[in-house]
Amino acid sequence: MSDQYDSTRVGFRDGLVALAEKRDDIVFVSTDSLKVVKGEPFAARWPERVIEVGIAEQNGVALAAGLASAGLRPYLCTYAGFLTMRACEQMRTFVGYPKANVRFVGVNAGLFGGNREGVSHQFIEDIGILRAIPGFTILCPADGGQTKQAVLASADIEGPVYIRIGSGREERVFPEGTPFEIGKIRVMRSYGDDVALFCHGFVTNRVLAAAEELRRSGVGATVVEVATIKPLDAAGIAEVLGRCRCAVTVEDHNVIGGLGSAISEVIAEGEGGAAGARLVRLGLQDCYGESGFPDELLDAYGMSVADIAAAAARARAGRP
Amino acid sequence: MIERARIEALEERARQIRRDVVEMVYRTGDGHPSPSMSAADMIAALYFDVMRLDPANPSWEGRDRFVLSKGHACPAMYAALCGRGYFPREELFTLRFLHTRLQGHPYAPKTPGLDATTGSLGNGVSVGLGMALAARIKKLDYRVYVITGDGELGEGLIWEAAMCAGHQKAANLTVFVDNNNYQSGGTVGEVSGVYPIAEKWRDFGWHVQEIDGHDMGQILQAVENAQRENERPSAIVAKTVKGKGVSFMIGDNSWHKRVYTDKEYEIAMRELGGAR
Repeated sequence: MSDQYDSTRVGFRDGLVALAEKRDDIVFVSTDSLKVVKGEPFAARWPERVIEVGIAEQNGVALAAGLASAGLRPYLCTYAGFLTMRACEQMRTFVGYPKANVRFVGVNAGLFGGNREGVSHQFIEDIGILRAIPGFTILCPADGGQTKQAVLASADIEGPVYIRIGSGREERVFPEGTPFEIGKIRVMRSYGDDVALFCHGFVTNRVLAAAEELRRSGVGATVVEVATIKPLDAAGIAEVLGRCRCAVTVEDHNVIGGLGSAISEVIAEGEGGAAGARLVRLGLQDCYGESGFPDELLDAYGMSVADIAAAAARARAGRP
Repeated sequence: MIERARIEALEERARQIRRDVVEMVYRTGDGHPSPSMSAADMIAALYFDVMRLDPANPSWEGRDRFVLSKGHACPAMYAALCGRGYFPREELFTLRFLHTRLQGHPYAPKTPGLDATTGSLGNGVSVGLGMALAARIKKLDYRVYVITGDGELGEGLIWEAAMCAGHQKAANLTVFVDNNNYQSGGTVGEVSGVYPIAEKWRDFGWHVQEIDGHDMGQILQAVENAQRENERPSAIVAKTVKGKGVSFMIGDNSWHKRVYTDKEYEIAMRELGGAR
């Protein structure tokens, strides 16, 4: 892996190592996924705290529920969809329902995460699935450093946590060491109240670029990172919507069930001046992706910088 | 050789569990009676003899754990928990009513003394294996006991867990297969291709015993044999009778989930040595 990336997978691994140095309840459950996240340094230091179950996600999740019931804090990291789809019921009935302290880290999220692997390894439904299951904290860090911070912050959350990460080829978004605050939106740019741009994950730099482009054309955008999808900072989002009155959501996920849906709900419920705000949702338009290079895929599926700027114009045109 | 008095005391515990099951289903108007009956002797042996428990301290870290993978048989487990004093007897008759601590299928956070949330079939061996491996990590010497049905052996996850437990050498894990030969839609032989059962566990590296699941001496002996295993997890394939203890329930699979009439209740309790 080259240094040009700020790998979320390595971020996860480094976060886990940092946690395990401080506490003895951290366990890594591998579904033949230890090498996927370059977990060898963890396994070398704490071999007794690695449980390898093989390619068997349902077993990994239900087993992790058993570990958690005995007071451990297992982290299970593998492909996002093999967790949230193949082992969905185990996540719901054996982890979510009894509020077990299991932490899930889903790799290859979105088209960007799955890229050339194609649809079987591109997961665009995970957030929607987990939003519908009570009790999960859902975190979507934007880069490797943020992933590490999210892992550190996740340790003390009561109940299950899902952290959505990528392939290991992510761009840096935040300076190293930037904290990850669970449950709060982060305003990244305040160029004006002409339009709000909400996003999370590996599209963030594109959204920032679109905000610059809009600014050059005289449109002041507010860029908001929503890295905690659940519990959603509805008050913070409503405050931004109350000021801007129109918004674009950008997410590498189906537009159904993810950030776009979550913000639609805030608008529909009309808290804090959000009522009636105009929204345009970018993301997968209820379709599957295909193989391709990561950036190429985001461009092809409507998440280019130009698409974001154009969506902002549509949102502004429909502003109440 | 296991003493006669020990066996007889447990047989009476098992009869009490069966009477409680009948009374719970009769008084609350819901529940799965005959799957509870087939597991009653194993549950009695575990809760009243085998397992190291402290009912005054349900969350004691060193306690043995029990996972009822066939969660629909929970009336029998609730009766055992009640018999060990985890909650008062009157609470048994809140089964499946709104705000009860005794959910229709087991929910650990609500029921005192209950170790595992179950109900969705095929998951209990994995959950039990996680508990068993946690003992290794935490350097505790507790043991984990699981009861699965035979019908639920159709779930692939059972065999994921079986493979993993054999590979992990989880010797502190013991799984009873309640082989009553019925599932919801008919006999296990008719509905699914589960047989032969013992060979499958053996192939995954388990120590396997086949016993009469209603013979208390055989149950206790099998557990003692399992406890002597240092490397292999143990499967105890227990031949059982669905509805055991009540003549009119045996061979009639409608008792998988059915409620007693007044007359049936009277007969059942009489046969179980209860009210005359």
